[in-house]
Amino acid sequence: MASKVAPSNATFKDKEKPQEVRKSNIVAARAVADAIRTSLGPKGMDKMIKTGKGEVIISNDGHTILRHMAVLHPVAKMLVDVSGAQDVEAGDGTTSVVVLTGALLGAAEKLLNKGIHPTMIAESFQRAAARSVEILLDMSHKIDLSDRQQLIRAANTSLSSKIVAQHSALLGPIAVDAVLKVVAPDATNVDLNDIRLIKKVGGTIDDTEMVDGVVLTQNVIKTAGGPTMVEKAKIGLIQFQLSPPKPDMENNVVVNDYRQMDKILKEERAYLLNICKKIKKAKCNVLLIQKSILRDAVNDLALHFLAKLNILVVKDIERDEIEFISKSLGCKPIADVDSFTESRLGSADLVEEIESSGSRIIKITGVKNVSSPTVSVVCRGANHQILDETERSLHDALCVIRCLVKVKALISGGGAPEIEVSRTLFKEADSLSGVEQICFKQFADALEVIPTTLAENAGMNPIEIVTELRNKHELGERNAGISVRRTGATNTFDEHVLQPVLVSTSAITLASECVKSILRIDDITFSR
Amino acid sequence: MQYKRLSPGRLSPGDEGYPAFSVNIFGDQVTEERAENARLSAFVGAIAVGDLVKTTLGPKGMDKLLQSASTGEAVMTNDGATILKAIPLDNPAAKVLVNIAKVQDDEVGDGTTSVTVLGAELLREAEKLVDHKIHPQTIIEGYRLANKAAVAALDRVAVDNGTDSAKFRDDLINIAKTTLSSKILSQDKEYFAKLAVDAVLRLKGSTNLDHIQIMKIVGGKLADSYLDEGFILNKRFGVNQPKKIENVKLLIANTSMDTDKVKIFGAKFKVDATSKLADLEKAEREKMKSKVEKIKGFNINCFVNRQLIYDWPEQLLADAGINSIEHADFEGVERLALVTGGEVVSTFDHPEKVKLGYCDSIEEVIIGEDVMTKFSGVAAGRACTIVIRGATEQVLAEAERSLHDALSVLSQTTRETRTVLGGGCAEMNMSKAVDTAAQNEDGKKSLAMEAFARALRQLPTILADNAGFDSSELVAKLRSSIYNGMTTSGLDLNKGVIADMRELGIVESYKLKRAVVNSASEAAEVLLRVDNIIRAKPRTAGRNH
Repeated sequence: MASKVAPSNATFKDKEKPQEVRKSNIVAARAVADAIRTSLGPKGMDKMIKTGKGEVIISNDGHTILRHMAVLHPVAKMLVDVSGAQDVEAGDGTTSVVVLTGALLGAAEKLLNKGIHPTMIAESFQRAAARSVEILLDMSHKIDLSDRQQLIRAANTSLSSKIVAQHSALLGPIAVDAVLKVVAPDATNVDLNDIRLIKKVGGTIDDTEMVDGVVLTQNVIKTAGGPTMVEKAKIGLIQFQLSPPKPDMENNVVVNDYRQMDKILKEERAYLLNICKKIKKAKCNVLLIQKSILRDAVNDLALHFLAKLNILVVKDIERDEIEFISKSLGCKPIADVDSFTESRLGSADLVEEIESSGSRIIKITGVKNVSSPTVSVVCRGANHQILDETERSLHDALCVIRCLVKVKALISGGGAPEIEVSRTLFKEADSLSGVEQICFKQFADALEVIPTTLAENAGMNPIEIVTELRNKHELGERNAGISVRRTGATNTFDEHVLQPVLVSTSAITLASECVKSILRIDDITFSR
Repeated sequence: MQYKRLSPGRLSPGDEGYPAFSVNIFGDQVTEERAENARLSAFVGAIAVGDLVKTTLGPKGMDKLLQSASTGEAVMTNDGATILKAIPLDNPAAKVLVNIAKVQDDEVGDGTTSVTVLGAELLREAEKLVDHKIHPQTIIEGYRLANKAAVAALDRVAVDNGTDSAKFRDDLINIAKTTLSSKILSQDKEYFAKLAVDAVLRLKGSTNLDHIQIMKIVGGKLADSYLDEGFILNKRFGVNQPKKIENVKLLIANTSMDTDKVKIFGAKFKVDATSKLADLEKAEREKMKSKVEKIKGFNINCFVNRQLIYDWPEQLLADAGINSIEHADFEGVERLALVTGGEVVSTFDHPEKVKLGYCDSIEEVIIGEDVMTKFSGVAAGRACTIVIRGATEQVLAEAERSLHDALSVLSQTTRETRTVLGGGCAEMNMSKAVDTAAQNEDGKKSLAMEAFARALRQLPTILADNAGFDSSELVAKLRSSIYNGMTTSGLDLNKGVIADMRELGIVESYKLKRAVVNSASEAAEVLLRVDNIIRAKPRTAGRNH
């Protein structure tokens, strides 16, 4: 119909204000990305953050850093969110996703300067991202969950950039074994709540251990001289209190004369003794008592009786721990003394309090009759900062293994996948027409930020390395990546630098989605 | 033109019309704008609002980032009503436009930007006419006639596929795609359009969108969103209860299941022995137990309570084989009652009088990192849940708004099944009809009608502008094509050419378009009638008020 078809965007002239807004958005977002860029990779550095409360946090985990940075700009906040989303989805690669978003925005800025419509850029980027995911899945290596060595290598890659890198030989297997223990054979997801990380200051990271069973951070009550170790334990988890009766309604005990006083004391004694006897009658010899805010969970008199009856007592169990404990010990919580029966108890070979490096924990091992297993990992570290970072690193490693349960494929690390995707996209771009071609090329270019940053952080010459990598990939070495250990380009697959494919795919899709929403903004207005 | 302040008491001595003595009709701090001034302020305010949202229109429209001044929270949106609601305005005329956007949002759910922009364009045209000394009432008359002609033209081009269910489904999908194409979901519009249509068709003609629950969970990408039959509650079963139950009879309650709340206010015990206290405690427990016994009497296997369930009743319920969910939030309970067909009860004396909820199974599922409870096969087959995944909070919130727009338009379309074409096609057809009608009209009114036609043509112009095309060229081509009888022509904004909208499947709801034209012309009319703006004294935060 139209005689002269002119489907060009040549006439698109961005108006002044939208252009300014977009620029400032991009600058803000890139500033955030630049701030955490140096923490990427095995030679990446940590950041120290002093929070408003004066608390000091040292971390290498992108999401942790961003979450504590007090960013003001709304677009900068979106970058924080995107690393949060990566944390939920994959658990690892939270720094990469932000660095990638920053690089993509840089590419978008160049394209905007050429006068290309922002929605065109955003859409092309999303198509490029979708294609990247295909390429990544294509170059990934399928694995079996029974291949413990491969899983450990993947965990080690994640750990290698953290403070605990030297201890990866210890922590990697812990992460793998923990996940493998709680995962059902045909599951496609893992509930990480089944893995309990416990932090105790004291000792070194080397003392971190996985306990097959349950670890409680509470202490055994010894004031009345009760046992601190029980073999062939019968464990009762109670939600009622071992203290004088206290109805919920307000009450007064009126004492008229001194004889009554004796009576009251006697009755109180009889009341508690009765409860303790019932507990003993059910053959219970370890008692876990839920914390109560309304009254004493257990009083001295009751403790005395329990000690006499040779029952190990632990108090102050939080209500939200109940579910985990009852699940992992195979016992049922008991809310009333009348329903205290043997069938509700859990059994274990050994319950003992262990003192090491200045802190005490209770270990329950050899648990029997458990429907769904759980695992506890005790993290140790010299101070709070190291301990917290160890826990975060271990959590990341657990997430890596979880990713492999979700999508059972590994990909070589060290920037190899990014180079490969970038190279393929660059080639394929030539078969596209119009604006999309340029956008694809810029997208491909932006992906190289990951290997470049890795090399930069490791003190290598980024240009040399990246070009060498490109060359190798062109010659068919699809697994060539940066090996920081060898300071050069090698086959990272053979070097066992491996990561779950889900981490990379999710980082690319999330980054491109975030870029899309940032590009769509043409105005910032203040609202109520 | 120089505007003089005409309010009494504001003139300086010596001015024409300065009264011999000062008359103060209005109270302190009350301001008044009259005639030209008032009209100018109305025009300026309305046009400013129109310009503000103009750039969000159409498939290449942009988003606005709204930053809250008080909380610092950021909202990113393409939805006209959301933008206008959030911005604090101090112009009465602007507020009228905001209101019609809100009404449009409530009635049809989408087209809020269009209605605001059209209203503003009508006023812009009216301003020119007023400059040419045409009386506002004449303009109003012209606008009314034009509106009638436009709606009649819209009726003529509307197509009704309501009887043919396959074609109607296509229509619905196309409407959803058109609506979503201007939003953040544009990339995955095929997918979301299907999702929205599936959800709406489940409603079977009802427009009650409460049956469709939208859940937002950070993580994953937008395309990972899905439609789930049934209902998802962000709660878990109590301790020591099976993770999946089937053939569920459900009792939904709002009752206190914690003993310390079950007491008589102000009452007090006086006892003289510990054993009596123990008895009392026992009595309290018995009371709770009897309550649980009553609940058991309902012969149910799942009990959902809005309030907390304490350890003791929870254990009793678990022992009786009844799963319990505590502390379900208010909205959750209401919705659950709606979708499972049960009632929310707070006394348990008459099991026979209470309607229980039913569903095929309840199980715990993991979405993202959270464990939730899913009720599937619920009694009301209409209910479903849409789980949206996305990179950031903002993306999720915007996706929800977009989806809600699509859902409400679709649900309205299931009632009023007629459809019209988008891409500026319907507007151009209306504009043509109004132009023709203007030619047959005597007197100055015809000028106003021509203005109305021009305002209608502004919508395709803005669409083209936003996409970065040469709008004058494209709109002129579209106009000639429509005037030559090709009534299905419209703008293809991806390629920047004129194309057949029916072939491209760019379909919009008839009801939406009609509402846009009607409300916009009504708003313009209301504002044109204004010749005096009186502002009351702003309320001060003083203590003596």
